[in-house]
Amino acid sequence: MHPSQRLECTWLIPFKFKTFPSPINSNHATFPFITSSIPKTLSFPKYPLSIFKPKKTHLPLKVKRTSFVIRASNDDNSQTASNWSKWIPTGYFAADQVFRLIAGATASPIGQFVSSPTTFLHSIDPRVKLVWLLALVVLPARSHIIMRFGLVIFLTLLSILILQREVWKDQLGRVYFLSGLLFITLGLGADGVPSLVQLRTPPPALTGLPNLPVSLSGYSYVIAKLGPLTFTRKGLSVASTAACLTFTVFQSASLCLTTTTPEQLASALRWFLLPMRYIGVSVSEVVLTLLLSLRFISLVFDEVRNIALGIVSRRVNWKHMTFMETIDVFFNYFRRIFKNIFSHAEQISQAMIVRGFKGDSDTHKIYFLSESSFGMADFISLFFLVVVTGAAFLSEYYLV
Amino acid sequence: MNIPSLIRYSNILVAPLYSTAPATTTTTTTTTVRCTRAENIAIEGCNLNFSFTTNQANAVPVPILKDCSLRIPSGQLWMLLGPNGCGKSTLLKILAGLLNPTSGTMFVNKPKSFVFQNPDHQVVMPTVDSDVAFGLGKFNLTNDEVISRVSNALHAVGLSDYMKRSVQTLSGGQKQRVAIAGALAEACKVLLLDELTTFLDETDQVAVLKAVRNSLDTSAEVTALWVTHRLEELEYADGAIYMEDGKVVMHGDVASIRSFIEDKQSIYIKQINS
Repeated sequence: MHPSQRLECTWLIPFKFKTFPSPINSNHATFPFITSSIPKTLSFPKYPLSIFKPKKTHLPLKVKRTSFVIRASNDDNSQTASNWSKWIPTGYFAADQVFRLIAGATASPIGQFVSSPTTFLHSIDPRVKLVWLLALVVLPARSHIIMRFGLVIFLTLLSILILQREVWKDQLGRVYFLSGLLFITLGLGADGVPSLVQLRTPPPALTGLPNLPVSLSGYSYVIAKLGPLTFTRKGLSVASTAACLTFTVFQSASLCLTTTTPEQLASALRWFLLPMRYIGVSVSEVVLTLLLSLRFISLVFDEVRNIALGIVSRRVNWKHMTFMETIDVFFNYFRRIFKNIFSHAEQISQAMIVRGFKGDSDTHKIYFLSESSFGMADFISLFFLVVVTGAAFLSEYYLV
Repeated sequence: MNIPSLIRYSNILVAPLYSTAPATTTTTTTTTVRCTRAENIAIEGCNLNFSFTTNQANAVPVPILKDCSLRIPSGQLWMLLGPNGCGKSTLLKILAGLLNPTSGTMFVNKPKSFVFQNPDHQVVMPTVDSDVAFGLGKFNLTNDEVISRVSNALHAVGLSDYMKRSVQTLSGGQKQRVAIAGALAEACKVLLLDELTTFLDETDQVAVLKAVRNSLDTSAEVTALWVTHRLEELEYADGAIYMEDGKVVMHGDVASIRSFIEDKQSIYIKQINS
């Protein structure tokens, strides 16, 4: 019986029971402890339990109903060492919930190609998309804050317009959560240490000089004070750069992977890397590695989800498990993931050998069956990229 | 196990295995079958043994295959049956060259192709068409020829509309058919197929069987060895092999193997009911 379980009874006996507080752990046999404080005036009844009570009772006619609680507990030898386990989270943050969260989060893998409906982004040459990706990595770091947020809004609108509702909600939800977390953490943490400690000069109170006058233009280094936390201009700059960069990197990559097949991406990357063959770079190996990595993303997601679901479906009674047993399950979970992934890798390498791959990427040709043609949409896209890049660089000089 | 019936069947075992009378040398300890390969034989294994040794010190080798001999004529679809753990997949992997036999000789026509039981282990590339084309990388083909082969193979397994689909989005049966299409696209002379229909429903099962049967019917040179547990698939086969405890117990025509297995089933059911 679990210690939290209580047996509540109402007996037709006129005395009260005293109960011992139960120890926390009750893993083994349970022994109820019941004490009684019997009134001296009352003789002990012959049939104390109501079910054994004959029709003619020995008890007085006016019997007071007394409810009391009996707590069952075990006689564990290590009672003193078990109190700490009550601090283990068993509510919402229970292990079961964690596994359910993992299974839910990995249900839709990041960066999966969606073949239909075919949008104009599907028709754009993958090489142009790669250039855009590069630009979206560089621009948030080298542009004005308005431009950064402008890029975020642009990518958000593009995702909503291009992708299906479920897909963009899933993608944007994750990326906005991550970026928001970064923004708050860095925004409040950048100047988290009190500035008095960082000052290189003694404060005006020590030198006897008057305080510096307040800026007439309304400039203030501190934007907002939230109790002990300070949101400063430095914090805003750091937070906006990091959050926007995170958003543009993740969301542009997701958008690209959703509208481009891995083979098209690999083909575009090969096109850009081909000149590097002359300095000894094994381009075909890089391309094959990229393709295998993209294939493995889904396998890893599958494994993580399947094993988590496997544990959830076993209906483990986590509340009866000790902290170390719970940790053990988690370690076994991670061990199993790695074991299965390595097993997958081994099997796929066997399959590659069987299918004629001899270990040399240069001799085993990878066919890219999708034909890419440079059309009007690509030119427009490139033109727009030039405009955005120009605006980003100009914003550094003209927007202060 | 019904020992007398096994002895009875092992007496007739050798007869269908050889088109000509086998030359058998019997010693006091082992029986060695000397194989003489006929012209129209696509797959042949003679006294194949395979043992597995663990890494522990003083570990005794565990025998997996014991003197397995088989012979499959060219252009035929043969089924390999037997209970779990009897060594079917191991034998198939040896024939595919993935494992080296401890002793014995074998011959398999080339080019050969192997399809794994789990399609996730077979499918290498992220998209359907590029995965089917992966096996063609060893040949020097033009892009047009590759596209033609890939589309024909996908058509054969009923996946013409899935060329640009991500492998991740396919069901188990569809992945299995992609794996088979990869083998078909290579236009191999020998197909070694390991429990292809495990993940498939009845419709997909029949579709895959027909796809393999069709590839054999269109080319007289193609031979297939199909590992299965499903007796109903025997009707598509030209011959069958039954294995038990690492040994080839029976080897012959479909009717004999079917009646042999059904006898065993009825004996087993009687044992349970008694």
